[in-house]
Amino acid sequence: MTRNIPTLIILFCIVLLVQVFGLSYLRVFNVTPDAVTIFIALTGVTLSQRASTTFGFAAGIVLGIFSENTGMLIGWMMLSKTVEGFIAGFFNIPENSHSTTKQKNRRIYMAIIGSGIASGAIMSAVYDPMGFSPIIRIAVLGLLKTLLTVILAFLANLVFLKKSLLD
Amino acid sequence: MEVDKLKKYFSFFIKHNTYLLFVLYCAISVLFIRLQGEDTLNALRSGSIEISAFFSEKVTGIGEFFRMHDENERLMKINATLVSKVISLESAFNDAANRKKILADTTISASKYIMAKVVGRKFSDRENMLLIDAGRNQGIRPNMTVLTPEGLVGRITYVSAHYSKVLPLIHNDFKVIVTSNTTNTMGILSWSGGREDIAQLEHIPISSPVKINELMSTSDFSTFSTPGIPVGRVISLKPDKLFYDAQVKLAVDFSTLTHVLVAPLRIEPEKIQVLQPTAGTKNDEMQ
Repeated sequence: MTRNIPTLIILFCIVLLVQVFGLSYLRVFNVTPDAVTIFIALTGVTLSQRASTTFGFAAGIVLGIFSENTGMLIGWMMLSKTVEGFIAGFFNIPENSHSTTKQKNRRIYMAIIGSGIASGAIMSAVYDPMGFSPIIRIAVLGLLKTLLTVILAFLANLVFLKKSLLD
Repeated sequence: MEVDKLKKYFSFFIKHNTYLLFVLYCAISVLFIRLQGEDTLNALRSGSIEISAFFSEKVTGIGEFFRMHDENERLMKINATLVSKVISLESAFNDAANRKKILADTTISASKYIMAKVVGRKFSDRENMLLIDAGRNQGIRPNMTVLTPEGLVGRITYVSAHYSKVLPLIHNDFKVIVTSNTTNTMGILSWSGGREDIAQLEHIPISSPVKINELMSTSDFSTFSTPGIPVGRVISLKPDKLFYDAQVKLAVDFSTLTHVLVAPLRIEPEKIQVLQPTAGTKNDEMQ
């Protein structure tokens, strides 16, 4: 993944736009896959924990503003995305590492799953879109969202991420 | 000593900067959570709605562009359905209105008349023909007079079980004896093509007191028609050697004819028989 800051920011903005205005149409039980989680996981794995935490925090602000509740959950969204970025940073692969693509991919998926579940758990504590009990909410918001995100990451990886990871 | 302590703190910050950053971000997030109902966030919310709506509108616009073809097809189908409904309703409404108009006309004793709808017409500048939806089963017979409250339409020439052909006034072979309501001037009305609302009035002597705008009606002398049915008004009178060359504006508007009445048969065989030797053509037999 590129380390050029302006390129990263542009990429980040595109991912946010896709998430807010594109992926909201791909709903399964009122849950959408999260492209931002993939981006944060990628920055955590390929760049640094600090970068992923910062991107997570920024993503939380934007997604909070554009969330369905239009700003009602901005604080919670910021917190969950910050945690997401922080957790993704634990799966960081150092620059001088000799990891194979397969290992890198595995790390990315682990980062997505770990950060996705954590983020989902935080959001499910406050966000109740379907009137479920907290446990079911964690399962639906956390696990289902993570599952959809992993599927999206897998598809994206097939198309173009593999090349950028090898860079 | 103090410098060592400072270096120690500084190295701690350097070493754990990510954690500190994380704590800072979390603190800001918690602050936002605490401020959830405050005015600052409310302003942010209203701004976000504006921005969100702007982008949503653009994205929806893109989607609509791709769905335009399907949407057009859907609208065309709806349009076709609505047009057919409107046509059907208008037709029903007009039918009812025309029926009402004919029945409301007090000059015609509608009970003796058979009402029929014009279901077909063949119009040209020379020969015209009407088809009505009443035939033998409804009591229609050849040579019955066809009229509307406005005036004479023609006469029945051919009858099938459910339909009848009408030879209208605006046909080359149609002739009818007409008389003026005020001056009793008589003439033979015929149509020689051209405009469908103008007919010619023949055999009006120069000496007759006929005037412009006189109403001409069917005469007692007619062999098929009930007397007194309006035919039209005289609109031009040009004196020739012996007769006027007169034109009559027909009372019936054939272009909007939808319903007609068929008058009971008034054939006087004896009268026809007497007239027979003097008649030159078959069409002259019925005037």
